[in-house]
Amino acid sequence: MKLATIGVGNAGSKLIDQMIEFEFETGRNLCRHALVINTARTDLAKPQQLDEDRRVLIGDTHQKARGHGVGGDAKIGAEVAQTDIDEIRRVFDDVEIHEVDAVLVAAGLGGGTGSGAAPVVIDELQKMYDEPVYGLGVLPGTYEGGRPALNAARSLQSFVNKVDNFIAFDNDAWRSRGQTIEQGYEEMNEELATRIVTLLAAGEVDESEVGENAMDSSDIMRTLDTGGVSSIGYASTDVTPAKEGLLANFKEVDDSQSESTDAAKIKGLVRRATNSRLTVPCDVSSADRALIVFAGPPDVISRKGVESAREWLEQEADTVDVLAGDDPRPDSSTLAAVVLLSNVTDTPRINEIQDQAVDAQNKIQEQDAVREEEIQSLITDDDNDLDPIV
Amino acid sequence: MKVALLGVGGCGTRLVDQFVRTEHRTGRSVTNGNVLAFHTESQPLSQTTALSTDQHILLGDTHPAVLRRDTNSPATDSPNSSHDPQLQSETSTTTSKQGASSNSRTREYDINEYGVGGDPDVGAQVAKAERPEIRRALDKIDETEVAATMIVAGLGGGTGAGVGSVLLEELTDIYETEVYTLGVLPADTESDQRALTAARGLRTLVPRAASTLLVDNDSWSRDRDAVADCYQSINQMTVDRLLSVFGAGEANTTFESELRIDPADISRTLAVGGVTTVGRATVEIDSNAHGLLARILRLLGRSQPSGSTPVDASKIKTLISRAVQSKLTLPCEITSADRVLLILSGPPDTISRKGFETGRYLLEEETQTVEVLAGDEPIQNTTELTATVVLANVTSVPQIDELQRRAVPTEDAVTTTSGPSTTTEQTATTDEMNTQTVEPSADADSTSAEFDFTNAETASETTDSTEQ
Ligand SMILES: Nc1nc2c(ncn2[C@@H]2O[C@H](COP(=O)(O)OP(=O)(O)OP(=O)(O)O)[C@@H](O)[C@H]2O)c(=O)[nH]1
Ligand SMILES: Nc1nc2c(ncn2[C@@H]2O[C@H](COP(=O)(O)OP(=O)(O)O)[C@@H](O)[C@H]2O)c(=O)[nH]1
Ligand SMILES: [Mg+2]
Ligand SMILES: [Mg+2]
Repeated sequence: MKLATIGVGNAGSKLIDQMIEFEFETGRNLCRHALVINTARTDLAKPQQLDEDRRVLIGDTHQKARGHGVGGDAKIGAEVAQTDIDEIRRVFDDVEIHEVDAVLVAAGLGGGTGSGAAPVVIDELQKMYDEPVYGLGVLPGTYEGGRPALNAARSLQSFVNKVDNFIAFDNDAWRSRGQTIEQGYEEMNEELATRIVTLLAAGEVDESEVGENAMDSSDIMRTLDTGGVSSIGYASTDVTPAKEGLLANFKEVDDSQSESTDAAKIKGLVRRATNSRLTVPCDVSSADRALIVFAGPPDVISRKGVESAREWLEQEADTVDVLAGDDPRPDSSTLAAVVLLSNVTDTPRINEIQDQAVDAQNKIQEQDAVREEEIQSLITDDDNDLDPIV
Repeated sequence: MKVALLGVGGCGTRLVDQFVRTEHRTGRSVTNGNVLAFHTESQPLSQTTALSTDQHILLGDTHPAVLRRDTNSPATDSPNSSHDPQLQSETSTTTSKQGASSNSRTREYDINEYGVGGDPDVGAQVAKAERPEIRRALDKIDETEVAATMIVAGLGGGTGAGVGSVLLEELTDIYETEVYTLGVLPADTESDQRALTAARGLRTLVPRAASTLLVDNDSWSRDRDAVADCYQSINQMTVDRLLSVFGAGEANTTFESELRIDPADISRTLAVGGVTTVGRATVEIDSNAHGLLARILRLLGRSQPSGSTPVDASKIKTLISRAVQSKLTLPCEITSADRVLLILSGPPDTISRKGFETGRYLLEEETQTVEVLAGDEPIQNTTELTATVVLANVTSVPQIDELQRRAVPTEDAVTTTSGPSTTTEQTATTDEMNTQTVEPSADADSTSAEFDFTNAETASETTDSTEQ
């Protein structure tokens, strides 16, 4: 698939940056256009893979933002995006939209810029183009607290209503022991970039080499066509390069036996991908459609294995709509299986965030209601005898 | 966050001077030179060490109630020397005693005659009369260079509260950006007049300022009889905390912060208005585990994600808990906080994700608000980890109740004993104020004279802000 990508806010920008880095390292070519948008000048400087003119500062004339961010206030995030929409549109003028299959908008939903501005940007994109617009959103962890949960719950609603599919990533699912903050985000971003790029970059191989088993962009888009929230699973294994390695020799010796071990390996890989940490934990059987991409040397992808893996996933996801295909990468030393579970409806983490958000909203409303009165009573003596100075 | 600082009165002057000095020493940059000191008395201005003379704004030359310390050398103190020194002394003493009712004579030691002599109404008159001069001085501030402006003043002071109130009015009229106040509250051992002035000052400043950060001299003075002896350490504590808050994200570091504190994070936290207080705690980290070796390993690509050793998650959580439980600049009931900001600064490779997250969550629980913003600030070449917690719009503050309790009878005494000429109705005309003659006495206990600037620099290093 060919994408135009937009990162909004801090997390969104870092994710797009990481995706580009990953595709560059692995010789893929997914993000044909990339753009980052932020309200904070300093955050805009972070991405390393983007040119200066691909970074858009919004809200620098807004009284409360002024190039300094929005302080987690999604309302201001949305407001400034609305105000500066012409500027965003202008940068998008360079994009030859017919050269891409879809647009991907990435954002962290717990903050203010991404959660507020991204839905506005998506609205505009949907107006401008017929191509599908996908969302890639980071859900805040439980310990980030009530305000991020509230931002996320609200933003998630807008996202899901506006995009053609929303791929969720749960920060809570990716904690590991002993991480620093820096490592934590770095690891998560790498994991997410690996999954999203491996999935979406499929279908871009040279037409002449394509076998009948190759995944096509239209297959991926069809699977995403469900709308709703999606989750991605991933597993990979080292494979010895076919031409010189053991496997090649082995194959010559006993082709049929090798075929059956390979098949078992393939199915095991898909099973591992599905049962491993998904980008957002979900009940697999609640998926509407599913798709498997095998990325690796074509000669280690056993047809029998692919078919049995596909059948297995049909059972697991409880849907007949399961596509499987290859992303042939002859020079790769790994074989990866990516599983896309489209429109999963049973996602406990999203329910939790919504509950946390309702509590937060109540508390905030309570505080808003008494604020002025409490300040007045703090600075006034009991009988209101004291005069101000001016 | 870049902030312009406007010190007002003796307290404000000393605080901004100390602030600039600490900026220089630590290499942090918050003011960019956007600093002014306003006073009605020349001595505290001339005792500053980090401010240049064109940052000194001496007010009150035309006001008959303002007394100059050295009337024989008007050239240095007062460019406008034509008015009668005798007249000045008479009027100033008259008005300066407006708040010092007869029942608090013993506490008058802390007010001297110079400047406005502790009278905030005279302070306000002076400032109103000299608005053009004030505006001209404000031209030296580049509003486009800063995200906000902060008035710094002792709220018990006649100049601090009086001139400060008018200055705040002026600034909120002309500035588009936020104007904060940093106010110092008088200690219990200070005179009732100070208490009255501070209580009235709060009534004036709090509703108008975007937020009012307060420091309580009472909680921070060790020796209850000599608050002035503690100014130096209180000021350093104050400056350190202000720098931790407003300096976050301003340090020049090659490390990127993952969750940087933006100026908008600070202004959003403070945007609820009211009174704000700050806590802070520091912990030494094991420099061997995080220093050179760890960095070399990282350079060699040796440190696995889980291989490097961040400070224990529980240690960080404890640090954050200590910060919010620490002695705050103004002690208060922390559950009354409206919004909270946490800044964790230290070497970037030490801040454990889990510790940071659970610590932040703990803040939410302890302060009972969901509006908690948190960020990290990577600082190189330090062996300390510091947690700074800003509690915005705290509404349950015993010290403010106490000030009001003392202020009310004091104000009553003033209005009944001294008649109408001493209160807010006062006008600036000489005739009206020249009603009593009291000999001005050079006050040996003058707080500004006592303050030793040369010691402040060295002593500041030892000031610990992590009590309790
Ligand atoms: N923490 C601290 N408090 C101070 C300092 N200087 C004065 N204060 C307090 O501030 C109040 C008096 O304010 P000053 O600034 O000295 O008074 P002023 O505004 O200059 O005007 P006068 O009242 O006329 O002296 C008192 O409550 C003092 O205890 C200081 O350097 N540090
Ligand atoms: N996975 C991931 N999440 C992040 C990253 N940076 C921030 N977040 C999350 O994104 C949310 C904050 O959004 P952020 O993009 O920083 O704020 P914004 O710039 O105002 O949109 C929080 O829930 C963070 O945990 C990152 O690099 N990776
Ligand atoms: Mg941000
Ligand atoms: Mg509360």
